[in-house]
Amino acid sequence: MESTIDSLLLGFSVAFRPDVLLYAFLGCVVGTLVGMLPGIGPLAGISILLPVTFGLDATKAIIMLAGIYYGSQYGGSTTSILMRIPGEAASVMTCIDGYAMAQKGRAGAALCIAAVGSFIAGTFGVIALTVIAPPLGAFALRFGPPEYTALLVVGLIFLAYMSSTSLARTLLMAAFGILLGCIGIDVMTGHFRYAFDIPDLGDGIGIVPVAVGLFGLGEILSTPSQSVTSKVKAPRMRELLPTRREWRESAMPIARGTVLGFVVGIVPGSAHIISSFMSYALEKRISKHPEEFGRGAVAGVAGPESANNAASTGAFVPMLALGLPTGPVTAVLMAALLIHGVPPGPQLVTQHPDVFWGFIASMYVGNLMLLALNLPLVGMFVNVLRIPYAYLYPLIIMFCIIGVYEVNHSIIDVWIMLVMGIVGYLLRKFDFDPAPLVLGLVIAPTFEMSLRQSLIMSNGAWTIFFERPISAGLFAVSAGLLILSAVSLVMKRKDWRAKLAEVEASESDQGRPS
Amino acid sequence: MIAPDDERSGQRAIIRRDHIAGGMFIVASLLIFALSGDLPFGTLASPGAGMMPKLVLGLLIAFGAILVARAAESPPLATINWGDFRHAATVVVVTAAAITLYTRVGFVLSVTLLLFVLLYFIERRSLWRTLAVSLGVTIASYLLFNTLLKSPLPPMPFWF
Repeated sequence: MESTIDSLLLGFSVAFRPDVLLYAFLGCVVGTLVGMLPGIGPLAGISILLPVTFGLDATKAIIMLAGIYYGSQYGGSTTSILMRIPGEAASVMTCIDGYAMAQKGRAGAALCIAAVGSFIAGTFGVIALTVIAPPLGAFALRFGPPEYTALLVVGLIFLAYMSSTSLARTLLMAAFGILLGCIGIDVMTGHFRYAFDIPDLGDGIGIVPVAVGLFGLGEILSTPSQSVTSKVKAPRMRELLPTRREWRESAMPIARGTVLGFVVGIVPGSAHIISSFMSYALEKRISKHPEEFGRGAVAGVAGPESANNAASTGAFVPMLALGLPTGPVTAVLMAALLIHGVPPGPQLVTQHPDVFWGFIASMYVGNLMLLALNLPLVGMFVNVLRIPYAYLYPLIIMFCIIGVYEVNHSIIDVWIMLVMGIVGYLLRKFDFDPAPLVLGLVIAPTFEMSLRQSLIMSNGAWTIFFERPISAGLFAVSAGLLILSAVSLVMKRKDWRAKLAEVEASESDQGRPS
Repeated sequence: MIAPDDERSGQRAIIRRDHIAGGMFIVASLLIFALSGDLPFGTLASPGAGMMPKLVLGLLIAFGAILVARAAESPPLATINWGDFRHAATVVVVTAAAITLYTRVGFVLSVTLLLFVLLYFIERRSLWRTLAVSLGVTIASYLLFNTLLKSPLPPMPFWF
């Protein structure tokens, strides 16, 4: 524990440097805007701005990009409460009671509760991350190729199990992503795979063009400008303070949402979205007045908002400790670290302590910044929502092109982005969630390498995966999840995933989640 | 493959969303499989470059088949709303033109044209406002990336 505190102090010495503070602040501001603006979510925001960080060192780059991620969780609540448009997908649940509170003239109180809940959850998440990540990283040093293979399999199955679409659809998307990840030179044999004599494809398909295409351009293609309204009324400063009763009603939901969100966040999948739904369902179930939910229940804002912020911090645990992304956003953040020559994973703490601890310390500071940004300055931020979408989307397309081109200065990457934009548009039409595709693309090289290394190690005996206790345990978890899915399929039971899908569908009919 | 329509008619069959979705993945996977002929699968003890892609293609075909098999639970194909298709197609064409020009005529010209076409011809904004936004945003972005962030953008062949 003492060494953790010493390391954290090292982190604060990095995080409090004026230049690092500036980039954390920039990340928080941009994240808040990204969270608020419909049509551009945290994934597209981070991907588009990734090239901006190329001139920075790894610490500043990851601090700024992470600021965009958790900042977007704060910003997403603003449009949900004021306009019933979830600027960010995780804010879908906040729309229901947040907007109902706004209709009753309590928009300011809802925004304040969302911001305070987010702050408490974010700070708790960082404390838990501080405590859990280093020992988990040390444990992961025992992992060999079979364990990594098993871990990636369990991650994919977990993602599919947690998904609100069907297991087959999610795994199909992940397999599609892995197939895209196979494009390029095979590092073990030197074979060109599906490169079609295009030299740029020799290095494979980058994460950024795919992510920007699917989530940035794909969203724009699905959103005609006539369908977007920009009527918004900013709450006045004096309306921001909740009443004593509202504080009392929000205290326990914030606490429950925080713990629940962090635990769910560690699990692979779009955890911050799932956590907010689970928190909402939990609050409604244990409430003495469940009939108030949907009509402006304070707990319906406090719980989900805390849960999605805690989950976004929890998602950093496997990313930093194991080098495994739990979702597309952490996948792009991992790619950012790799671009800066810092491989995330068990050795990050020992080999790059300044990056690891500087990043963690910056999150404490970032949460404070976001609290300050999201309460007094909310009136200023909502002005951004008054920019007509007709002006906004051409600018987003421009940033998509710049962002993708600047990664490798390759026009092929920009074409890939356009193709992936069309693919993203079509996938949405056929009700596929593109997030597992990005995750599949990210894990493809590690997955293939660890699978082939395992088989070579065992001279072709696939039983190696069941002879080693950790990988056997992880495969047992995968089997358990598949059985659970099969049971709910056979029983035709409508579980929480089906309910989440229904809520997402009904909310996206009214707004446009990004 | 085709789910029966409502029981009253008994004659007509309707194509559902997942018939097409699953079918497309199966067809595409089979095509890619055909393209993978030169990639060696290897053996379990010595996996080749083709092992992973072929395993994944097998999975894609399997999951595609599951979608087709369970397509009766999905909505009819006709219920997919294509109301945004025209907007999407226009944006794709304009963006493709801008990408074609991007490295040929440089950032400033291609992006100014991209913004101008989208704002003036598609969004029907006023000429002067469109010109101001297109030029202003392009030049500001050029200065931000090229000058401030030292991240070079494609230059114009003439003076930039």
